Amino acid sequence: MSAKGDILIIDDDPDFCEVVKTALEANNFAVRCANDGLRGLAMMREKKPDLVFLDVIMVSPTEGCYVSDEIDDDPDLRQVPVVMVTSVTDSKYIGLFPTDRPLHVDLFLDKPVPLAKLVELANRFVPPKHVTA
Amino acid sequence: MKDRLPFEAELIARIDWLIRLRWLAVVGTALAIGLGAVSFPGSLAVGPLLGVAGFIGLYNLQFFLYLRTLKVGPAGTVRLRHATLFAYIQIILDLLALAVLIHFAGGVESPIAIFFVFHVIIASILLQRRVSYLVAGLASLLFAAIGGLEYAQIIPHHPLPIVGMEVYRRGLYLAMSTTVLALTLFLVAYLATSITGRLRERDQELLESMQVSRAKSEELQKLNEQLSRVDGERTRFMVLVTHELRAPISTIYSCLELALSGYAAPEKAHEVLARAQNRATEMLGFISDLLSLTRIREQAVQWEQVPLTQLESVLQEVVDLMKVEAERKDVFLGVDVAPDLAPVRALPDQIKLVWTNLLSNAIKYTDPCGIVRVSLSQDAGQLIGTVRDTGIGISPEDMPRVFDEFYRASNARLVSPHGTGVGLSIVRRIVEKWGGKVWVESESGLGSKFTFVLPRADS
Repeated sequence: MSAKGDILIIDDDPDFCEVVKTALEANNFAVRCANDGLRGLAMMREKKPDLVFLDVIMVSPTEGCYVSDEIDDDPDLRQVPVVMVTSVTDSKYIGLFPTDRPLHVDLFLDKPVPLAKLVELANRFVPPKHVTA
Repeated sequence: MKDRLPFEAELIARIDWLIRLRWLAVVGTALAIGLGAVSFPGSLAVGPLLGVAGFIGLYNLQFFLYLRTLKVGPAGTVRLRHATLFAYIQIILDLLALAVLIHFAGGVESPIAIFFVFHVIIASILLQRRVSYLVAGLASLLFAAIGGLEYAQIIPHHPLPIVGMEVYRRGLYLAMSTTVLALTLFLVAYLATSITGRLRERDQELLESMQVSRAKSEELQKLNEQLSRVDGERTRFMVLVTHELRAPISTIYSCLELALSGYAAPEKAHEVLARAQNRATEMLGFISDLLSLTRIREQAVQWEQVPLTQLESVLQEVVDLMKVEAERKDVFLGVDVAPDLAPVRALPDQIKLVWTNLLSNAIKYTDPCGIVRVSLSQDAGQLIGTVRDTGIGISPEDMPRVFDEFYRASNARLVSPHGTGVGLSIVRRIVEKWGGKVWVESESGLGSKFTFVLPRADS
């Protein structure tokens, strides 16, 4: 059975990537993983994913925002839905975000995200296909 | 910052005030003379009196002009000397002027002798207390001279219209008036100088206490800044710790969720659970590192009770532990210890942490077939420990920050994604706590050399 869609996970935590990959593949999605922002952007340009799960804090606290900006700036990538996932909900830390610019994200989630929710989001954001390569 | 009252500036200000006052006196005198002339035509020596008044006016004008140039001039001891001399001249001229006025307005019977009191008070305000007494004495002398000269008929007597002619020839009356005047003037001198002296002291105290409170307030501000800086550091620390703890826990949670969810085949579930266990182990390590950090910081040091520690024996313990890991990674671990090493004053557990962190880092960041060399030696004052490796090295941008809490160099993350960056900050804290220093030399891609020194406990 061909995959329902192609999802890219950009997160520096390899265990998190593995878990989400397994859950999504079990739901018939093709999943790629990137461990840092630059690699993630390269993979996006290589083959445009149907959905991106983007971690906010990777090597530096603003890496996620940097990636989100790059996606927004690129007309080709802009249409890709982005879900931002973070393990930070402390309101003080939020203050570190450059909140004067809008983040190009469709949704903002806290870790740990229940796997059912991830699957539901994948089903929601990935456009339905009749034939997939 | 001046630490005395600017006496010079004060003096000039008071002279200014005196000159203004004198204008009033001139006008008042002229009016009084006019009134007298009108009330008692012909019986008052109007001419000479007005002459004196005019003379006072004239010299006051000179004073006024001179003061202007004095004010403009540069401040300093020269100007102070000039101003003081100026004050003396004014006082003397005023005394003489009043004496002449008294002579032409009744001599010994003239009530205006009372005005000498003003001069005494003004002298105490303007200058030192001794001057006041001098003025009192001088005024009394002048009064006695005028009375005496008129009594001896060396100079003519000019009676006041209302008083009779005989009094000035009464020697007893002259003596009495002079004595009473002198007494009054000296008493006034005493009182005035006490008061002004007190005022000056009070002013000085006030100035000093203002300076003290200003210094205190600056100190307080500095402490405040320090406090808010420390507070900010603590907040940042807390935020970083929270993140470092939350991230692995949420991953462990997701791993468990996956295993329970049924999305994963049994072998996959098993793999994922193993990952969760690894993360849990790392977290436990991180938490115990955090505890070490806080414990190191908070322990008070009583030097006499701190044990003597031989660095080489602790090193031996740590090497025995690390040998296994080094062999597993196929990294060569070499140890060079000089003989007869002096001990250091430090807690052995903490020294163990230093060696452990440095050695485990060296092994962790060195590829298989790499080399880690540890050496321990001493010089006249200190013990020197070095840990060298042929590992990934540290880039120049990361170098100043490697010892910072939670800092992880970018290339370190590639080798070990889950490290928390606490190890080197622990090393630094411990070494500095026991009076030593630690630093690193490194080249990206070639390797690093960490060196620490601790003072010998036998010197």
